Amino acid sequence: MIENFLAGSAALFGDPFTIGIFVFGVIGGMLFGAIPGVSMLTLAAILLPFTASLEPAQGVMLFAVIYCTGTYGGAITAILFNIPGSAENAPTAFDGYPMTLKGQSGKAVGAAVLCSAIGGMASALVMMAATEPLANWAIRNIGPPEIFALVFFGLAVASSIGARTIWKGWMSVLIGLLIATIGQDPVGGINRYNFGIGDLAAGIAFVPAILGFFAVSEIFVQAEKKASGKYKAPKVSMTFPSWLELWMHKVAVARSVVVGFLCGILPGIGATLAAFMSYGEAVRWSKNREEFGKGKLEGVISAETANNAATGAAMIPLLALGLPGGALTAMMVVVFQMHDLQPGPLVFMLSPDLIWIVFAAMFYANLSILIIGVVETKTILNLLKIPFQFLAPLILMLAATGAYINRGLVLDVIVMVLAGIAGYLLRRSGFSIPGIVLGLILGKIGEQNFAQGMQMVHYDLGTYFSRPICAILIFAGFVTLCSSVYRAFKSPKSVEE
Amino acid sequence: MARVTRTHWVESAIFLLIIVVFYGFSFEFNQPIEIYRYGATAWPRVIIGVLLFATIGNIWFQHKYGSSSQGTIGHNEDEADFSDPKTVTRMAGVLLTPLIFAWLLKPVGIYFSAPFFIAAVMWLFGERRWKAILIMTVVIYVLFIGLFLVVLNAPLPQGNVSPFYDISAWILTMNAKLQGL
Repeated sequence: MIENFLAGSAALFGDPFTIGIFVFGVIGGMLFGAIPGVSMLTLAAILLPFTASLEPAQGVMLFAVIYCTGTYGGAITAILFNIPGSAENAPTAFDGYPMTLKGQSGKAVGAAVLCSAIGGMASALVMMAATEPLANWAIRNIGPPEIFALVFFGLAVASSIGARTIWKGWMSVLIGLLIATIGQDPVGGINRYNFGIGDLAAGIAFVPAILGFFAVSEIFVQAEKKASGKYKAPKVSMTFPSWLELWMHKVAVARSVVVGFLCGILPGIGATLAAFMSYGEAVRWSKNREEFGKGKLEGVISAETANNAATGAAMIPLLALGLPGGALTAMMVVVFQMHDLQPGPLVFMLSPDLIWIVFAAMFYANLSILIIGVVETKTILNLLKIPFQFLAPLILMLAATGAYINRGLVLDVIVMVLAGIAGYLLRRSGFSIPGIVLGLILGKIGEQNFAQGMQMVHYDLGTYFSRPICAILIFAGFVTLCSSVYRAFKSPKSVEE
Repeated sequence: MARVTRTHWVESAIFLLIIVVFYGFSFEFNQPIEIYRYGATAWPRVIIGVLLFATIGNIWFQHKYGSSSQGTIGHNEDEADFSDPKTVTRMAGVLLTPLIFAWLLKPVGIYFSAPFFIAAVMWLFGERRWKAILIMTVVIYVLFIGLFLVVLNAPLPQGNVSPFYDISAWILTMNAKLQGL
């Protein structure tokens, strides 16, 4: 493996043009990841036609690098302005933004930089060592029932995040799940809840909803504070987390790498679920659960380690089996096909050079996050010095454009604003925005895999429990749910009235 | 019952209305799918059922404990303070301005409406120095046009009503000329 890695590194850095493409991918991915709505997918889509003129290794490598750095890029705006660059950065905002409000933005961004790099590099190393056996294991043992069980397990913990009571936590998750049913049903393609609006047939897109629930609702909350004279500008802090602080979170980092990697390896799940699951696990295992969502460093560490750990893992089904796990990896299949190649087991035999250049590039791209991220952070933190009355229209303009660009629908901008108003009112009434977003994102995945799973087992639910991974996940979900039900009927800890 | 406030009743009524509307509309797509026994309605109706249970549970909780917290993770302790009429009026402006802007995007387009929207948001956020509003509106508008039109060449809403459409078309033509397209 080491010899192959060194050969891949030499091929990557031996040619100035390949280095140029690598640097372009690193910086482009970070920038596009950080601009709300204009995700790494936008950059990848723009670049797709141009990859035909590149060498196959250069084209695939460029996309792999954009994938790694784009996943990190969205963390910066999530932490500083509560605007996740994309869905996989949403859990980063849960604790990252409260840290900014507490004057610990430097610490949060520093942790995001370091943990994204660690997660990505660890994942790249495992990918290099075990792509073939892991892909074979996953394809034999993971199917729709397991993915549904994983979604169930993820949703079970969501009721206790961010809401004032367990009841409101459940209501938040369920509203998210209900919003996810708008659009075509995943099996028969039947239109649901389009209320006579043609554009709603495509469903509610994640990006406008996330921008509305997080960024726009935050603007409204700050506006209310300004109006009532309670507004306090966030303090700019350049203090990065100390090594001791990071060392104290070593278990969280290790757990997030494992969670991120396992989620990333599943086709169709990827970095978004990885970040949410990892955040949920951090909450589940913490002794100070009540501190999450109020600016706990472990929340940022868990989400950012996991989403980058998922990037290397997502390459495993793609390279070893030819199965893309998400939109960006699907575009990589197109890059392969443009050069008359087919990703899958044969690539390892026919084009080992290409594989090892890609592996090496992904490792160095994650390393670049560490180097460029530190420099970039010091500059970007100064944005917080801009008075909020000037920052608010800038954020709203970026959010509105980001919501529109994705599908070119004015409806998406309206959805974003309505989500912002709903998010503002729900937040002020003690409901959970993370819960709604989690329900919205996992709803479609859950329904699709439940339906496929039921068809697979001929509607015999008992078969779900004869599959070990599925049974463990469903059991763990039920235990969490039962404890949640028990807590829901318990008297509250503190009485405010 | 004293612990259940008017806000609680309004909140519960909204959720019950959502449940009724979504359940009612589920009959519109209640048709069998040949390859899937449960059809398109099963999943949303299960969610609606559990949401009804959670809403009733929430009312029960509020009846018994009022607005108490249950020691969940990371919820916001702040509650909206709408006792001051000035705050209410200003917040109504803050909430409605982006909605009106979004609504106007189709007929008016973003190129014409953006500067007015930017200035309005600044004013609503308490900025009263007209020079600052003017300068910052120009700065943000130029940044916005620079990033999305010149650099990214992104297709943005141009409006479909004259003269707004013509203004957007003029801006796009100027951009094309500047870039030598």
